Amino acid sequence: MERRTYLGSLGTVGITSVAGCLGDLLGGDSNPDTILEPPEEEAQYGDYSYQTYGEEFPSFSLTDPIAEEAVSRDDFVGERPFVITYFYGSCPDGMCDALLQHLARIQEDAIESGYEDEVGLLAVTFDPDRDTADALRAYSTERGIDPAAGHWHYLRPEDNETAKTVLNETFGLPLRRNEESSNNESTNETAAGNESSGADGLEYTFTHSALVQIVNERGIVERAYPKASRQRDAVNTQVMVEDTRTVVGVDE
Amino acid sequence: MRRREVLAGLGSVGVVAGAGAVAAFGVPSFDDDSDGSSGLVGRQHEPYEIETVDAPGSEAGTVTVPAPDQPTFIDFFATWCDPCIKQMDALATTHDRVGDDVLFLSVTSEPVGDTISEAELAEWWDENDGDWTIGLDPTSELTSRYWGSPYPSAVAIDASGTVRWHDSGIKTADELVAGIERALEGGAE
Repeated sequence: MERRTYLGSLGTVGITSVAGCLGDLLGGDSNPDTILEPPEEEAQYGDYSYQTYGEEFPSFSLTDPIAEEAVSRDDFVGERPFVITYFYGSCPDGMCDALLQHLARIQEDAIESGYEDEVGLLAVTFDPDRDTADALRAYSTERGIDPAAGHWHYLRPEDNETAKTVLNETFGLPLRRNEESSNNESTNETAAGNESSGADGLEYTFTHSALVQIVNERGIVERAYPKASRQRDAVNTQVMVEDTRTVVGVDE
Repeated sequence: MRRREVLAGLGSVGVVAGAGAVAAFGVPSFDDDSDGSSGLVGRQHEPYEIETVDAPGSEAGTVTVPAPDQPTFIDFFATWCDPCIKQMDALATTHDRVGDDVLFLSVTSEPVGDTISEAELAEWWDENDGDWTIGLDPTSELTSRYWGSPYPSAVAIDASGTVRWHDSGIKTADELVAGIERALEGGAE
């Protein structure tokens, strides 16, 4: 698995530099596999461990705990684009909520404009121990997300150890678990950690990245928005909705 | 090698610490690379009508955002957001200080009337001493236009409809008032 990560990263460097050269020569979109022009914000492409603009999205197969079915990259390639983010429901600082808000807004827009069957919305939890199907249903209800809609899939690795591996190895994202030992005010009546607790008294939290990616019908990344919980010129909900519409090919 | 990749990723992505490390809801240093002026400032959006709710200080009806004839202040919140509860005191103080000079709104994109009832929202509002207009944005259209997430986020729009200030995370009343004053000044131009 070390080798895979290494190669993944090498691939990134190669593609990025090629795209850069061609981009300079042609003065525009150089990638025949993408619909969108290269991102304006330089931080959105480059030598990252995760896949960015113009790169093939890694193969995955994970369980949607609500539909109780496996969802894989190949369900989308050749079929429809998807938007994907990585989160956990107990996220106490609002970062994950901000990420899910982007997707929730895309869901609303897709339903309003009738392209809900032409896009997938995927949210990978890296805390499956707490993010059970029931917890994810409750999480969705609070936020106005319809997780039963055919285009929405929570993706849930089987346990937290697997989740960390999947995040690091498959999606190329760092993840660090932080034990919250001090001032834990939770009643702790259930020692088994699979009860979804509120934001207070968490046993553990995560240091994680806030990434949203749009992947086109060919399985190529169109956009990788880093630090996507912080809205700014190049990265905000409206930009993501517009980019999604463009990649889907929604007629204005 | 793997570890290095992972750490490199950590560096590039700019990870925000969880739980206790972050006091504000959102990102620790919001203004790091934007010099305090967010990209939203200076923008104008078309007027958008939202429903308002019957609750303490708030009447059922509709309101247009931005207000056509005065500055508008919006606090974007959710009842499930703990930092939003912590934000309420400063909002109340701010409302007392400048609430008469602006259209003063708190807006939630929660599915009110669906999974949370208006009565539950009003109860939450009362418990947290809310005493001004609550607006609903069930499709997140308004929230999306004015970068309302992460919660709480605040935006001040001048009388001409131009955004003058925007920030996320828990703010003091002084910070909120200062933001609103930018909108008041902008409208006077």
